[in-house]
Amino acid sequence: MRVPIAWLRDYVDLPGNAQAIADRLAMLGFPVDAIETRPVITGVVAGTIVSLEKHPNADRLQVGSIDVGAGTPLTIATAATNVAAGQRIAVATIGARLPLLTIERRKMRGVESEGMMCSADELALPADWFEDGILQLDADVAPGTDIVEHFRLGDAVLDVDVTSNRPDALSMLGLARELAAALGTPLRAPSDRNPGTAADPAGTAPVVTLDSADCTRFVAQRFDGVRVGVAPTWMRVRLALAGQRPINNLVDVSNFAMLETGQPLHFYDDARLTNHHLIVRDAREGEKLVTLDDVEHELTPQALVVADQAQAQGLAGLKGGKASEVSASTTAIVLESANFAGARIRRMSAKLGFRTEGSTRHEKGLAPALADIGAARAAQLLVAIGANAYAPHAFGAPVAAPEPVPFAVRDVKRLLGFELPNETIAAHLRALGCEVAIVDADRLDVTPPAWRKDIVIGADIVEEIARMAGYDNVVASMPAVYPNDVSSRPYRLERKLACALAALGYHEISSYALHGPALAAKLRRAGIRPSHASVEVRNPLSEDQRYLRYALGPGLVEYFARVGRPIRVFEIGHAFTTAEGVVEESALLSFGFTAPATDEPEWTDSSFLRLKSDAIALIRNVTGRFPETTRDVRNAMHPGKTAVLMLDGREIAAIGQIDPRLGHAFDVPMPVYVCNMYLDALPDNATPRDAPPSKFPSTYRDLALVVDLDVDAAAISQTIVKAIGELCTGARVFDEYRGKQVGEGKKSVAVRVTMQLRDATITDAEADLAIARALDALRERTGATIRG
Amino acid sequence: MSELAAQLADLQSRFAAAVAGAGDERALDAVRVDFLGRSGAVTLLRRGIGQLPAEERPTAGKEINDVVERLEAQLQDAQGALESRAFDADLSRTIDVTFPAPDAAVGTIHPIRRIIEDVCSYFERMGFAVVLGPEVEPDQYNFDALNIPADHPAREGFDSFWITDTLLLRPHTSPMQIRTMEQHAPPIAVVAPGRCYRRDAVDARHLFQFNQIEGLLVAEGIHFGHLKGALTGMCRELFGDDQQVRFRPSFFPFTEPSAEVDTTCPKCRGLGDACNMCGGSGWIELGGAGMVHPNVLRNVGYDPDVVSGWAFGFGIERLGLTRYEIDDIRRFVESDPDFLMQLH
Repeated sequence: MRVPIAWLRDYVDLPGNAQAIADRLAMLGFPVDAIETRPVITGVVAGTIVSLEKHPNADRLQVGSIDVGAGTPLTIATAATNVAAGQRIAVATIGARLPLLTIERRKMRGVESEGMMCSADELALPADWFEDGILQLDADVAPGTDIVEHFRLGDAVLDVDVTSNRPDALSMLGLARELAAALGTPLRAPSDRNPGTAADPAGTAPVVTLDSADCTRFVAQRFDGVRVGVAPTWMRVRLALAGQRPINNLVDVSNFAMLETGQPLHFYDDARLTNHHLIVRDAREGEKLVTLDDVEHELTPQALVVADQAQAQGLAGLKGGKASEVSASTTAIVLESANFAGARIRRMSAKLGFRTEGSTRHEKGLAPALADIGAARAAQLLVAIGANAYAPHAFGAPVAAPEPVPFAVRDVKRLLGFELPNETIAAHLRALGCEVAIVDADRLDVTPPAWRKDIVIGADIVEEIARMAGYDNVVASMPAVYPNDVSSRPYRLERKLACALAALGYHEISSYALHGPALAAKLRRAGIRPSHASVEVRNPLSEDQRYLRYALGPGLVEYFARVGRPIRVFEIGHAFTTAEGVVEESALLSFGFTAPATDEPEWTDSSFLRLKSDAIALIRNVTGRFPETTRDVRNAMHPGKTAVLMLDGREIAAIGQIDPRLGHAFDVPMPVYVCNMYLDALPDNATPRDAPPSKFPSTYRDLALVVDLDVDAAAISQTIVKAIGELCTGARVFDEYRGKQVGEGKKSVAVRVTMQLRDATITDAEADLAIARALDALRERTGATIRG
Repeated sequence: MSELAAQLADLQSRFAAAVAGAGDERALDAVRVDFLGRSGAVTLLRRGIGQLPAEERPTAGKEINDVVERLEAQLQDAQGALESRAFDADLSRTIDVTFPAPDAAVGTIHPIRRIIEDVCSYFERMGFAVVLGPEVEPDQYNFDALNIPADHPAREGFDSFWITDTLLLRPHTSPMQIRTMEQHAPPIAVVAPGRCYRRDAVDARHLFQFNQIEGLLVAEGIHFGHLKGALTGMCRELFGDDQQVRFRPSFFPFTEPSAEVDTTCPKCRGLGDACNMCGGSGWIELGGAGMVHPNVLRNVGYDPDVVSGWAFGFGIERLGLTRYEIDDIRRFVESDPDFLMQLH
């Protein structure tokens, strides 16, 4: 909200400069986003045009004699056409500083001009919001009055943030009250007495029917003798500084009273209403309404309207209707000062797609009592511009007197950590408008002011006390933290994985969890069907945020494409799928790398082995165990270069090369290798046990076997280990060869079998016997033959 | 001079010449064999002792032994000289020590995770547990249980991505307050880092996906001053020893009293002026905090008249921008390799 300090000073004396006032507001919970300073203007005073003559040498100039309160009247020439004798105007005297010039004595076509008559522009007010030509002052501004001081034009304008719990502070008076309370100075609040006391002339009393529970209070008041014109300049200047364009005296009064009190108001042209009767009701399906901005709305019953007996006359709390807009011919008006349900106004505003000064206040939920206060203030201002006020009529439930909130004083110490005397607490609360009764040493009854809806429980009162005492007075101290039984295991696992992967040379990345249809398109291009059903976001900001990721792999591949050079990365994050409407969320780890294609036989791939070795190292690091590898085929992976790593027969990780067609679709220029893990699948870390090495030497035999192509290394070594038994301490395939010499459909495999006894040196005879058993088993189970 | 003495003198001069001429270990070993070996020159001389009169034999033996000792010493010296000559060659090599070294194949941990770890390790030291939770949450956890019922104007502040009528991507980590308190009785002390999502247009200061860390401490006797104390400690851990923390009143439906938390701008040390980090205020905004609202405590079955607690929720990226003096928040998501390595 734009808050002119000039306006605040109408209600409270404020020491210090704009920054000090802004800091004070911030420390009350109203942060100031910007301080708009005003240009320095000096030497501008009020003057009365005593006489006005045509310039002797220039058709388009006039020369005025201006009484500025002291000395002889000044002779001032002007090109403006809106001047006339008797007007009160702003005069920049010799030496005056204006935003763009300094006034000097000078001759205008032979006539010495002793100053300058000022337009709004020269006072740094928006020129097109005020009259063309010279700014007209109110008649009660005495000649000689310093205009900058009078309007406080030098005061900065603050852009103040008001939190949604404080709609009462979306007003000049609300903020002035906060400042006065904090400063301990009096608040000059205008009277809340409604000047309208006379009974309406027969048959003209406004009647309101509340046909919706979303309007709890509606103050209607009729005024006649209204003459539409220009509002007083003091009011227009206040509004302009607050960023509100002056329109006419009626609109300006409603805006001024709203900005001052926080209560939105609306005036209807009484002559355009049928039978002075207003009805608050749901709009009818398809009902049409043209609002003040000439926009036609087709409404649904979700909209709340204020109607007369014939048609909707406005969107409740949001915007008035064209049909009953006040105009130059208006002579009588009906004032609306109503309380609408915030949620209803917010929904309506969201649906219609616009907000107004009124709706931003209504939608936060105003106090019903504010309706009477706003009406009273508007009535005072209308009377001041010459309207006749009749008595206000309130419809809806009477405003309930605020309930006292019982307050345990010990909660101050308990929640804030510091103590205050009961008298100080009471004084702070009273300054904010609360009534405080001291029941006993530990108990106060605090009755919040009628305009505050946010003081409901003790904690609310503690906050008010803290704000008044100053948050800076909260003393920092360290809490005693009691032992508790909450586990940090998932966090520790993630940390451990990240550290281990960084040690293995991988860089951690973080990619977006939302993606668009482009991913599915790329998969389609690669001939791959998505492996999971995607969770869809209902209200993405753009199409590329339509889906939640179901895997981390695509993020990695996209990253590889972007980086374009070999790199090793990992990401830990959540992925989402949906099955029959249920969203399933999992914590995942993916790591992998791009590597240039190597020149090696087609049946080997050292990059795959590198990935596998990293995956095994990682699993050993976080589980303390050594996984087994089995061949696997899965979506989006190379069918011949994919495996799963298992522990206890459960899949722990999937590793392999990404389907090259997918890499191509993502424009990755190199093969991509990726390992994916579901963190939930990882077993708890097993504590390794020490197995002391045998004191006796081991021996080994290297076997050269010929087997069918589909016999894999795992089958060979498992067969050997099983056949030899305890004696065997290892059977590791260390070479593979295929070629003409070996024969079609066959491969040659070299295995080193190591053997050792725990209690004696193994003899050659024992070793040979064991190998013979192994070869028998290999022949039987895998069809292996010894290579001759 | 006796005949033996003459022979020994001759032997010694021949030995000296041979040693001097031995340029490597092999040649030196040959000299040793020639003179001191089983059938070397010295052995021949010893054999001659038997032909001497009995009374001269001991003297002759001693003379020979003395010479042998001398020869062995010379041999050792010569060997030592040869060895040190070999080192001389090595020691004379000089390289350009400023020649660029290849990069070590170490990876990096993302700066966001490192900040999370620093914050968590601080709180873990105090006895807090670290909990993680889901990113898709029901509105019950996101809002209702946090004292933000449907139609509450504060829901406006959370412009969320919705999945269904009741499921959304969490716009803050505060649901972890509810999840933790539902499962554990007080006292409780946790921090909960994690990803959050809001419908913000992406620019240099905003991401629609970001990380928060939530803190929650509930026990008997916990007050606002403890919050300030713990957060001051946290800021000192992250930014340095003289870091200050400031509370400003604010509003969050799930805390009362509520505060915005600022800390001394680490770049200008709170001096402000023309600091481009804090915009001249001397303070950096950390996020929201406050005393847990009694309704929130009641919603999880805690008694607000017995226990009290505080909670905070800070944006990690914002901390990162400040800590690493980064001017564009998008770099965290881009995760460019050079960015990651530079910040490591």
